[in-house]
Amino acid sequence: MAKGDNGVRCFQGLLVLGNVIIGLCGIALTAECIFFVSDQQTLYPLLEATNNDDIYGAAWIGIFVGFALFNLAVLGIVGVIKSNRAMLLAYIILMLITYAFETASCITAATHRDFFTRNLFLKQMLEKYQNPEPLNNDDKWMSEGVTRTWDRLMLQHECCGVNGPSDWQNYMSKFRNINSDSEFPWPRQCCVMNVQGIPVNLDGCKLGVSGYYNDKGCYELIAGPMDRHAWGVAWFGFAILCWTFWVLLCTMFYWSRIEY
Amino acid sequence: MWSCWLVPAFCWLVHLCVAQSLRPQIASPQLATNNPTFTTIALEKPFCVFDGSLSPVSMISSAVTDNSSKPLDSTFQEVNGGQLGPYKAAVLNVPDCASPPKLADIRNVKKASDVLKQYLFRVGDDVSCLYDPNFLGVCNPPLASDTTYRFKYILVDETLGIMKDETLWSDPIKTNSVKKSSTIDTWPGRRSGGMIVITSILSVLIFLLLAGLFASVFFAITGSEDSATTETRHISQTVQQVAPRPQASSDRADQ
Repeated sequence: MAKGDNGVRCFQGLLVLGNVIIGLCGIALTAECIFFVSDQQTLYPLLEATNNDDIYGAAWIGIFVGFALFNLAVLGIVGVIKSNRAMLLAYIILMLITYAFETASCITAATHRDFFTRNLFLKQMLEKYQNPEPLNNDDKWMSEGVTRTWDRLMLQHECCGVNGPSDWQNYMSKFRNINSDSEFPWPRQCCVMNVQGIPVNLDGCKLGVSGYYNDKGCYELIAGPMDRHAWGVAWFGFAILCWTFWVLLCTMFYWSRIEY
Repeated sequence: MWSCWLVPAFCWLVHLCVAQSLRPQIASPQLATNNPTFTTIALEKPFCVFDGSLSPVSMISSAVTDNSSKPLDSTFQEVNGGQLGPYKAAVLNVPDCASPPKLADIRNVKKASDVLKQYLFRVGDDVSCLYDPNFLGVCNPPLASDTTYRFKYILVDETLGIMKDETLWSDPIKTNSVKKSSTIDTWPGRRSGGMIVITSILSVLIFLLLAGLFASVFFAITGSEDSATTETRHISQTVQQVAPRPQASSDRADQ
């Protein structure tokens, strides 16, 4: 090459280092996205029912992109060391495709995170929790998922409703259609339970006597894991892409300067 | 003889005076936070309002206003849920004035039920009595939502069946109104800053990468053409230097 050998070797070393980091980040991205997709808190039915589950789509893309980044990094290291034009051209083109997918994943995760508001989950809870007459099989599936998830959330975390038990008192709901207000001002799971799973004092719970019903809202417990999921996919992906951008540009430059 | 009459009459008058200046109160909001609801209202029982020592007595709670002196017997259905006149909602024993329930005891799980039963009475508690043809007691069906009600306690002598005392009508108490869930607005408002940063920066980077790709391909192609011509010139010059002079003219002609 026209440059001195030292300069070339240094540049190659930098490219190899860049690709090593890309490979490691790819593995980390795969692991992180597998963790998110595995949905430890089982909150997926809530998102599925809002038709707003694209952060899971972004995580799935992240799994495959991470794996692809690792493989391409290996290809890149071999190509740079051997200064092989064909390999490096393949590397560049495949990296660009992977880059485009990861960009899509990041933007999707960041955008859909913005839709998570209290009102979204409140409306869904009121319209689907214990829905006695679902419109079709799809609605039935979603309603059952929402009911199951809310029951588990309320019992496990000792909370009630999205903002508090007052949600059930302020709005009409499918739950209210089948359960009378005097007997069920809010679902039984909002009552403080003893070890057998029976309310400690049912009258106290119905009247709202403090100590016999859970007055905390469940929103933080839903939004917290989902925020971490979305931001983890979006921002880590963004960081990887910023680094990969420089490595790709330098590789393109290196490729263009290789002589046959 | 008439003195004996006077005394009970006087006592009766005094008690009538006491009760007639009091009104039924809603249950303490610190205790019962979910009050009133769509269809129920919990009232404090009238402690130390009526004198229960005269004879076995019972009380009646009713809604809306009426001016007769006979104890009410109308049911919920007869007065269209309290719209046309008051109805009898319940028959209760006179609460014990000497030992009222201590509200602090509500924290004790074992005593909580008793405290609630003794302290308050919930109007609108019974959902099934309206539709049960065999129901014989006093029906206390759910109230209407977003409606104002007034209540009155009446002291009735059960053996004689006449009204002995009554409180004033309570202040109007309104049940909660209902909002439809379709009125909830789920639009998230403006985009978050993070989303705008990610989208804009990544879009720019993709564009730069594509530009870089085209530039490097372009330079690679033009560079290879240049180097091809340069190489043939180098080869011919080296051949020229090695080969003897007579060959040079034929090489120049080739070029």
